[in-house]
Amino acid sequence: MQGIPGGGTCPGPSPMDRRMLLTFSFILAVALGQMNFTGDQVLRVLARDEKQLSLLRDLEGLKPQKVDFWRGPARPSLPVDMRAPFSELKDIKAYLESHGLAYSIMIKDIQVLLDEEREAMAKSCRRERSTSSFSYSTYHNLEEIYSWIDNFVMEHSDIVSKIQIGNSFENRPILVLKFSTGGSQHPAIWIDTGIHSREWITHATGIWTANKIVSDYGKDPILTDILKAMDIFIELVTNPDGFAFTHSMNRLWRKNKSIRPGTFCIGVDLNRNWKSGFGGNGSNSNPCSETYHGPFPQSEPEVAAIVKFITAHGNFKALISIHSYSQMLMYPYGRSLEPVSNQRELYNLAKDAVKALYEVHGTEYIFGSISTTLYVASGITVDWAYDSGIKYAFSFELRDTGHYGFLLPATQIIPTAQETWMAIRTVMEHTLTHPY
Amino acid sequence: MQPRRPPPPAPGSGPWGPRPAAPLIALLLLLASVVATAVSESAEDPGQPQDAGLQRRLLQQAARAALHFFNFRAGSPSALRVLAQVQKGRAWINPKEGCKVDVVFSTERYNPESLLQEGEGHLGKCSARVFFKNQKPRPAINVTCTRLIEKKKRQQEDYLLYKQMKQLKNPLEIVSIPDNHGHIDPSLRPIWDLAFLGSSYVMWEMTTQFSRYYLAQLTSVRQWKTNDDTIDFDYTVLLHELSTQEIIPCRIHLVWYPGKPLKVKYHCQGLQTPEEASGTEEGSAVAPTELSNF
Repeated sequence: MQGIPGGGTCPGPSPMDRRMLLTFSFILAVALGQMNFTGDQVLRVLARDEKQLSLLRDLEGLKPQKVDFWRGPARPSLPVDMRAPFSELKDIKAYLESHGLAYSIMIKDIQVLLDEEREAMAKSCRRERSTSSFSYSTYHNLEEIYSWIDNFVMEHSDIVSKIQIGNSFENRPILVLKFSTGGSQHPAIWIDTGIHSREWITHATGIWTANKIVSDYGKDPILTDILKAMDIFIELVTNPDGFAFTHSMNRLWRKNKSIRPGTFCIGVDLNRNWKSGFGGNGSNSNPCSETYHGPFPQSEPEVAAIVKFITAHGNFKALISIHSYSQMLMYPYGRSLEPVSNQRELYNLAKDAVKALYEVHGTEYIFGSISTTLYVASGITVDWAYDSGIKYAFSFELRDTGHYGFLLPATQIIPTAQETWMAIRTVMEHTLTHPY
Repeated sequence: MQPRRPPPPAPGSGPWGPRPAAPLIALLLLLASVVATAVSESAEDPGQPQDAGLQRRLLQQAARAALHFFNFRAGSPSALRVLAQVQKGRAWINPKEGCKVDVVFSTERYNPESLLQEGEGHLGKCSARVFFKNQKPRPAINVTCTRLIEKKKRQQEDYLLYKQMKQLKNPLEIVSIPDNHGHIDPSLRPIWDLAFLGSSYVMWEMTTQFSRYYLAQLTSVRQWKTNDDTIDFDYTVLLHELSTQEIIPCRIHLVWYPGKPLKVKYHCQGLQTPEEASGTEEGSAVAPTELSNF
């Protein structure tokens, strides 16, 4: 089901008959002072010859208020459509039958149809103001996503709220969705997508996941237990400036868009800007590099906003940072080969999560610490999270393994999101059952 | 980020650690000796992360390099292969010279659409010896693979592709393949396949034990009229190098005719320093060795 991007006029091409009906009805409603048409029917009569036609014309003359013709008697070959009010139905049908006039009931109850039409009109006007027609299987731009966020929060205001945690370098709002069933400062789970703007599959997965959470709450016992005890925070567009740039100018842009005097290269790799092993071998001090770490830790507003938020909250128990591509699920450290203290636990949890993921569509992931599985990377999100006391810190690299890479076809969005959800859910469940 | 350095990270000259005193050479040679590894795709036991991880990565690098080379040498855009799984192998690391890898791996047909159908069962098997010269490009490769597609069928498909290319209207008004949403129009698929073939040459030359390349996108295509019947076209590709995350634009010029060796010229843009790679190659006139059973 294709969604219609936000903005624009109310679309809604109705079939020709319906529109005619609607027009007639509304005109009628206006003319007759908004009468009720409950039970009224529209009959279609096929007159065989001129004699039968004149009988129909008599009908109109006989009882002026009894029928009104929507398609008047013209020629024998053409059907005649007449509206018969509920109170006169019996008489009119008796008249037609006694004169051998064949008829069929075109509309069984006009009021019902009127109501449906009215609702459809209203709905199509609302189309860009609701999430029911948002397509989860296409890629969207920033405006569409932010518009979806507003609709989503409005439609699920019982458990979802929107928080602005800061502004990007180019002054775009940085938004986080909070999923909560109440309480104050429940232990929390953080999920971010889109820290690297070219990884479009991550934003798409995040959006689907947000919708999955509200859909499954109350139905999936594991998710319901999780949400009863914990809050979930999702930052869908962690790098809004970069993301806008991938739509406008450069599809393969990775960094943010910060500019500094003295260099003509733009942007910092937001996943090298964290205060954990900052500036190490797994990052680059050249501003023109794709893994440029920035002038100092948290120099970038997009990173600083998250640090501030998570630190102030003080009760985050898990952090999941989502990237693409490579099909990996990893835990700290990225900055060195040194294993974390609960390495064995994280290894087993990753193993379970990957298994749950595999069972959805047979997609194979490898797992392990970042430095041993992918490469050494310094100043990354999950290292900082772990060093800040968040024991369950994971980094995903979603589909694929290089065929399409960043340009993953939209047809793979939903399958990717479905399988990734099972892995995320596994991590969240473990966090719930292992409080600390 | 600099290309990933192998452990142990020790101070001193060279990427492999300090020069040992004479009595220790024997010990070091022992350490650098053959390590046979049976590798599966699951994670290594966290008890020995370093060695197993390094081994696995080296075998994968070797398999990839071998496949790029194989695809280029086969010169057949309808018979491209990608890595399925590394099955076994061993790596010899010589600090002075480089890295020699023997690897056995399985392959799949390169057909993006078939990825959506799992378990198609079109698995080929290859065996390769790859020599990475201390972070210098152009690894030396010896590779043989089992036949994946019947020769006649392959020739037919190549010829079909050739005809499709010849029928394309020029000038080609193409912005990018795939488009930004990952979609490749079926009519443009032949261009993509041929570009992938040409890029295989580039990616082979540029692969080292640390850097690996993927074809991200074609950003321009131009087909030239020829006096003979060859396909002649210029295109710009964006290669994605995984360890540095860099996007490298390369201009590639290739000339192809079904069954004939592929001719490729290319020029890639460097990063901050004008470190550019370029090369010219004609495909080997010898048909790739195919084993009927392996």
